[in-house]
Amino acid sequence: MFRFVTSRLLQSLLALFLVITATFFMIRFVPGGPFTAEKAVTPEILRNLEAHYGLDQPLWRQYLDYLGSLAQGDLGPSFKYPNRTVNEIIADKLPVSAELGALALALALFLGITLGTFAAVRRNTWVDYTASTFGMAGISIPTFVVGPLLVLAFAIHLGWFNASGWYGPTDRVLPVVVLGIAYAAPISRLTRGGMLEVLHQDFIRTARAKGASEFRIITRHALRGGLLPVVSYLGPAAAGILTGSFVIETIFQIPGIGREFVNSAFNRDYTLVLGTVILYAVLIMALNLVVDIVQAWMNPKVRLEA
Amino acid sequence: MRAIRRFVPFLLAAALAFTGCGRKETAAGTPAQVLRLSQRNEPGDLDPAKVTLPDEFGLLRAVLEGLLRPGVDGGEPRPGVAERYEVSADGLTYVFHLRADARWSDGEPVTAAQFVAAYRRLLTPATAAPKAAVFFPVRHARAFVAGTLTDFDAVGFRVVDPRTLVITLEQPTPRFPHYVASGPWLPVRTDVVAKHGRTWTQPQHFVGNGPFTLAEWRPDQRLVMKRNPRWHGAAGVRLDELHFVRLDSADGEDRAYRAGQVDATMAVPTSRIEVYAQERPEELRRQPMFETRYLAFNCGRPALRDPRVRRALALALDRAALVDRVLRGGQPVAATLVPPALAGGAATSPHAFRYDPAAAQRLLAEAGFPGGAGFPTLEVTAWSSSQVPVLEAIQAGWKRDLGIAVTLATREARVHLSALASGDYDIGFVTSIPDVADPLQVLGDFTSGAPENYPQWRDPAFDAALARAATLADASARQAALRDAEDLLLAAAPLAPVYFNAKIWLLSPRVRGWEEDGLWGRCYDGMRLVP
Repeated sequence: MFRFVTSRLLQSLLALFLVITATFFMIRFVPGGPFTAEKAVTPEILRNLEAHYGLDQPLWRQYLDYLGSLAQGDLGPSFKYPNRTVNEIIADKLPVSAELGALALALALFLGITLGTFAAVRRNTWVDYTASTFGMAGISIPTFVVGPLLVLAFAIHLGWFNASGWYGPTDRVLPVVVLGIAYAAPISRLTRGGMLEVLHQDFIRTARAKGASEFRIITRHALRGGLLPVVSYLGPAAAGILTGSFVIETIFQIPGIGREFVNSAFNRDYTLVLGTVILYAVLIMALNLVVDIVQAWMNPKVRLEA
Repeated sequence: MRAIRRFVPFLLAAALAFTGCGRKETAAGTPAQVLRLSQRNEPGDLDPAKVTLPDEFGLLRAVLEGLLRPGVDGGEPRPGVAERYEVSADGLTYVFHLRADARWSDGEPVTAAQFVAAYRRLLTPATAAPKAAVFFPVRHARAFVAGTLTDFDAVGFRVVDPRTLVITLEQPTPRFPHYVASGPWLPVRTDVVAKHGRTWTQPQHFVGNGPFTLAEWRPDQRLVMKRNPRWHGAAGVRLDELHFVRLDSADGEDRAYRAGQVDATMAVPTSRIEVYAQERPEELRRQPMFETRYLAFNCGRPALRDPRVRRALALALDRAALVDRVLRGGQPVAATLVPPALAGGAATSPHAFRYDPAAAQRLLAEAGFPGGAGFPTLEVTAWSSSQVPVLEAIQAGWKRDLGIAVTLATREARVHLSALASGDYDIGFVTSIPDVADPLQVLGDFTSGAPENYPQWRDPAFDAALARAATLADASARQAALRDAEDLLLAAAPLAPVYFNAKIWLLSPRVRGWEEDGLWGRCYDGMRLVP
């Protein structure tokens, strides 16, 4: 176990370094820069700006400087927001996205696992068809359709909620529901598939033969194996959901980090692009590691090996 | 299934309980005079030496006041901190007299020396202010920005006494007051900047001299400004608070407006313009902007080298139909480049572009492409998919009137701009927004080697005409000379103006005293709400 974790950490560090290097150079080679604007700046002002941000140095030098400050945990100043650093922007916005993501994930797991389990247990009945329809609809209808529709109904016509913003607890309801449903749909399908496979296995029949109640069979025996596909899906999904959703944050005007992934690239905010990419990469790697460990715990057939 | 049935009422109850408290909060927490404005761009900063966008400067005007304030609709600037100014007979020296009762939000008096210190900071190369160019009419300001002059005393600013500021210019600039009224000329307290560094624009540190003070800034959420009791005109300010509510898109603004979360938007989705025009016509507003949308012709492309071809393309644009059927916002059509409010009236140039397919066909035939035969397929590029309908209309018109085919492409905004700058395009859709309400700013983009000379067009006669116009001290003579220069430009047609942009937006009938010019220059102090 210890050897497995250390070796995975070392692999992750190497992968992270490659991600940083590739991103650093890729964003630099994209046409247009942070000072490209409709009203172009004069040559002397452009020189001043480049000197101010160190862009007048050779690229390899800028790269080494970046790695140097990164080693000290400094992600650098933002180009677009001169009064904030990338560290401050992430510290300010990640908690918002994480809160939204955690609530949505909780809703998605509850809805998805419940529906998926019922669908598997009552296979080929109307329960199954209803749950499957929900799953297909949730996967097929994009959030940018569901979101504005809910706003139209609950914010504009009924007036129950704000159409956008992130001020009070009520402002959490619509975005959490929209994002939660989007993730509940694949979870319910994965749960159904996983449960169907497990429910036909011998140990379930044994449990039934021993007179265990249906509820106990499902919660104690079947779910542990039936949820394995969900768990492997959850690693990358959690990284995605916790770092925010560009679409949801834009529709509901939520000050999360999700929008920065896209906007920083549009703004050529080099340091913010790198900051968000590093954040996402670290989360993905960490959560995948957690998933591997959880899977080994849930399924004795999986052995962690270095 | 029983579990689900048990769960549904619980969910509904929870949702109802939540909404119940939400409504009470808003109803009780909203004081009467709170004006809530939609803000589409998250301001990069609140420092006149750092921000670049017109609406960012528009926002800054709530908390900072310059020597002069923009005039109504591009007209003569009005007094700000300077209650009056005098110009010398040669047009080279301006003397500004500051009002005695101007105070900063921390109680300190506003002095001429503070203005000069702020300008010194902005022009210092290490500050790297992106909009330093609007100071270039000031004597030696450009050399100081370039670093070739290091002695700031040689720059044309002189403090005579705490209430008198003298500014000397490079050459007569009749429009100079418009420069002084522009956003980058807003003052800052350099001692506050020195004390707090880059964080001086945070609400807990910010010191301003405008009608409002910065109370809260939650990035991507809202900015709250409260009435500044120390402002010299505070007695006349009716609003208690100004909220700039961040909304990312026209659709988001529309939803927030309909849900009653904002009193004014910055735009209306094109698809909703007609709905508002029919259902709530008094709320649908149109503000002409000092912004021209034009097609730049890359004069480096062989097919576009001949001015007759470029004029043919510019004449075969049915601009009125484009505005009526595609844009649908009543934007003024652009027969010339300089917006009417800046040009001092509607276009009179003999070379102005009016829809004339017959003349266009004749010119194209003279250039060797009768009926469009043999004309290469060029690409028209834009920076946003929202412009595609406009370009499709142009594409169809050229096909119909000239028999030529063009392809369309959308590029990401900065890719588009850098392609324009490097000449890597055929025909590009461009928007021109001057930093200052001065036609010279608009026309100056097409002098040889100017950074925005996207057509890569060079004409020494145009350069000379513009340079001559710039030195004229007499305002009407200057206006006429600028029109002559524009006429040279239109005759050669390195570009085809399409329309003058207009801000199509929504304003609640509760709002009175709204005032905004074509460069987002707003005067907030006269705004108020009625029940």
